[in-house]
Amino acid sequence: MALTGRTALLAALGALVVGLLLPSAAGIWLVTGAVLLAVVADLVLAAPVRSLRFGRGGDTTVRLGEPATVELTVTNPSGRPLRALVRDAWAPSAWRPGTAEAASRHTLTVPGGERRRAVTVLTPTRRGDHRSHRVTVRSLGPLGLAARQGSHLVPWTVRALPPFASRKHLPSRLARLRELDGRTSVLTRGQGTEFDSLREYLPGDDVRSIDWRASARRTTVAVRTWRPERDRHILVVLDTGRTSAGRVGDAPRLDASLDAALLLTALATRAGDRVDLLAHDARKRTAVAGCSAHEVLPAFTDAMADLEPALHETDMRSLVSTALKMAPHRSLIVLLTGLDAAPVEDGLRPLLPLLTKRHEVVLASVADPRLDALAAGRGTLEAVYGAAAAEQTRADRRATADRLTRHGVTVLDAPPAQIAPALADTYLALKAAGRL
Amino acid sequence: MTSTVPVPPPVAEAPAGAAPTSLTPTGRGLWRRARWYLAFLAAVLIGATAVAALGQDHSYPPLDPRSYDRDGAHAVVALLERQGLKSEFTTDPTRSPAAPDTLVLPEPDLLSPAQLRAVAAARHRRLVLIAPGPAALTALAPGIRLSEDDGGLPYASVRSTPADCSLPEAVRAGSAHLGGTLYTSGSRGDGCYPRSHGYPLVRIPVGDGDVIVLGSGTFLRNEQLTQDGDASLALGLLGSQPRLTWHLPDYSAPLAENARPRTFTDFIPSDWHWAGYQLAVAAVLAALWRGRRLGPVVAEDLPVVVRASETTEGRARLYRRAKARGRAAEALRRAAAHRLAPALGVPLRSGAPDPDALCAAAADRLPDQPAGDVRALLYGPPPTDDAALLRLADDLDALERQVRNP
Repeated sequence: MALTGRTALLAALGALVVGLLLPSAAGIWLVTGAVLLAVVADLVLAAPVRSLRFGRGGDTTVRLGEPATVELTVTNPSGRPLRALVRDAWAPSAWRPGTAEAASRHTLTVPGGERRRAVTVLTPTRRGDHRSHRVTVRSLGPLGLAARQGSHLVPWTVRALPPFASRKHLPSRLARLRELDGRTSVLTRGQGTEFDSLREYLPGDDVRSIDWRASARRTTVAVRTWRPERDRHILVVLDTGRTSAGRVGDAPRLDASLDAALLLTALATRAGDRVDLLAHDARKRTAVAGCSAHEVLPAFTDAMADLEPALHETDMRSLVSTALKMAPHRSLIVLLTGLDAAPVEDGLRPLLPLLTKRHEVVLASVADPRLDALAAGRGTLEAVYGAAAAEQTRADRRATADRLTRHGVTVLDAPPAQIAPALADTYLALKAAGRL
Repeated sequence: MTSTVPVPPPVAEAPAGAAPTSLTPTGRGLWRRARWYLAFLAAVLIGATAVAALGQDHSYPPLDPRSYDRDGAHAVVALLERQGLKSEFTTDPTRSPAAPDTLVLPEPDLLSPAQLRAVAAARHRRLVLIAPGPAALTALAPGIRLSEDDGGLPYASVRSTPADCSLPEAVRAGSAHLGGTLYTSGSRGDGCYPRSHGYPLVRIPVGDGDVIVLGSGTFLRNEQLTQDGDASLALGLLGSQPRLTWHLPDYSAPLAENARPRTFTDFIPSDWHWAGYQLAVAAVLAALWRGRRLGPVVAEDLPVVVRASETTEGRARLYRRAKARGRAAEALRRAAAHRLAPALGVPLRSGAPDPDALCAAAADRLPDQPAGDVRALLYGPPPTDDAALLRLADDLDALERQVRNP
């Protein structure tokens, strides 16, 4: 049960009655008794809460940052009309900050035997599954003095998918892809290119691409054209260990990595390549393999939705062996991990020959713009020591990247805003060079 | 945010066997959950009542004639009664005595001026005041004042003191435990047990009786009577008359009636305080209204926030704490050389340019700068103090600027 402000107001007005007419203990008993009697009558006449029936509907997935609407249907099987304040409770991160109070409360009037729908608008601020908590109903009596209150469990889950903010870079990369794809043949030949067609020699073509046999059969000089091979295999490996938990700006490194992986997946799928996903820290967290082209992106976003950085060290040996199992043939392995010296030197470097023996390996790491800000610090002693420490960190990262490059790994180190387009460009460059 | 949409009418009743979603416990569930707590509560209440009923434990204030405690005064009263004295305890000291008697006032300062006047007018044969203040002295023992000369406090610790006077009771008792507040004897008074600048016991004749002013009642306590001449002095002072009246002070009484400031309630017309009580009831109802939540607070596990730059900032603090100027300068110089090399077209060999080639290229680009300066800046000795480190950082910046825009 719950009281309303009217009850308190009524009791306060009763003070006038006590002061003017009945200045005694009996007067207080009389006035308070009358107020309590009205409260009890109101409680008895209010529509029951326990027998209400609820239903749910609406969105089950939403991109992070966009609003999702969830419906709540309230059926009032009793004969009495329900005048109620309803709270549809969700975890705090399911609401846009500051609006939880207003967005979760609904004022409903449901005549006896009918049902009504309330629409709750959620704007999740965290990736992952958001589960509804409980529905609390405060059913007011006809006098508005008191209310019956009770809670129901009406489960519903809204999955907040990664925002894929880098999809704005997709059109420009697709245009570049079309340039090197079959629609525009290239004259350079590499490992991953296949013969496309013969065409007439034009001034400016590389003379090395002239096909002399074909030229001999016809009256003009013919050149061979090539196009990048399609149907290559790409394996995106996400390291969700402790190095991915570090916050860069106001999001963990992992979020930028997910964004980069999604842009690469979207681009590679359009280019006709197959993309698989592996997320691994101390153990395999999730793996998506063998999806057809049109369902791979939804499958990836769904798998990424509830990935959270783990706070322990990544087991690189297990990660590499799982990746090798998922890539039995020559593949492009994109490793989204950190460039910190210790884990790379001790964990990854001894195992790299296993990967680079058969596969093309790209290692992408999210750099911290705060390092640049620190390195630019001058003027005070504190700022200069900060600059020295930042330069030292950057030098360490560079040294690690250099050592990896000597192993034949393509290393990317870019801040969160640029990592996704940089990875897409690297992919396009590798494809154009026929190295896939 | 909130919108309610009526769903088109009649809907199928919720299926009869629908799983109940209500979380509100039923009456039976509440009873099942709460019964052991209620049983425990009942046991505690019963136990507490039993203990309270069995052990009636009164505690009396100090110098209460009914108290058997160490600081009580039952022993002296019992001794006097065994010698045939009649004793009575009163809460009203203003009554006139029927026969010659001794009145003991353990806390004369708690009496109002009117009561003090009444006591003075009641003509007790002997009045014993324990540690009276100026007001009580003026009313009951005129001529005696607190001994405040020499600027010292009118106070001395309680200890065994020789009588040193002609008061018969004191002479008989010899030394006794006296002290506490010190008084002057005045012109007519008879001071005993002299201490530094006053007397803890003064007798002064008033009318046909006398008044005994005591600095402290310690020697009357149960624990004290067996020592020194305390018992003798107590019996002598209190047993001079056939009756003994002992005032039981009302410690809860307000200090002085006319001194009480008028409070807010004095300005409210009578009867309207009942309306105040009714307002209090309304306040309780308002508290219940505001205190009831619409469902519990929803808790959520939040991810740990670890800033990625934390280790770098920690390293900066370590450098500073250890005054690692050499290391810091080395890092800054290496970074500057790494940035200068591509601008000057010097190749990097294992991550760093060749010093000689870099200095030569820089000298070529900046002809007006001595070549030695660039080498000292980039490969010189570590800075010796903080100012040198700050200067080095600024000079490296300046060099980079000059190389890029000569």
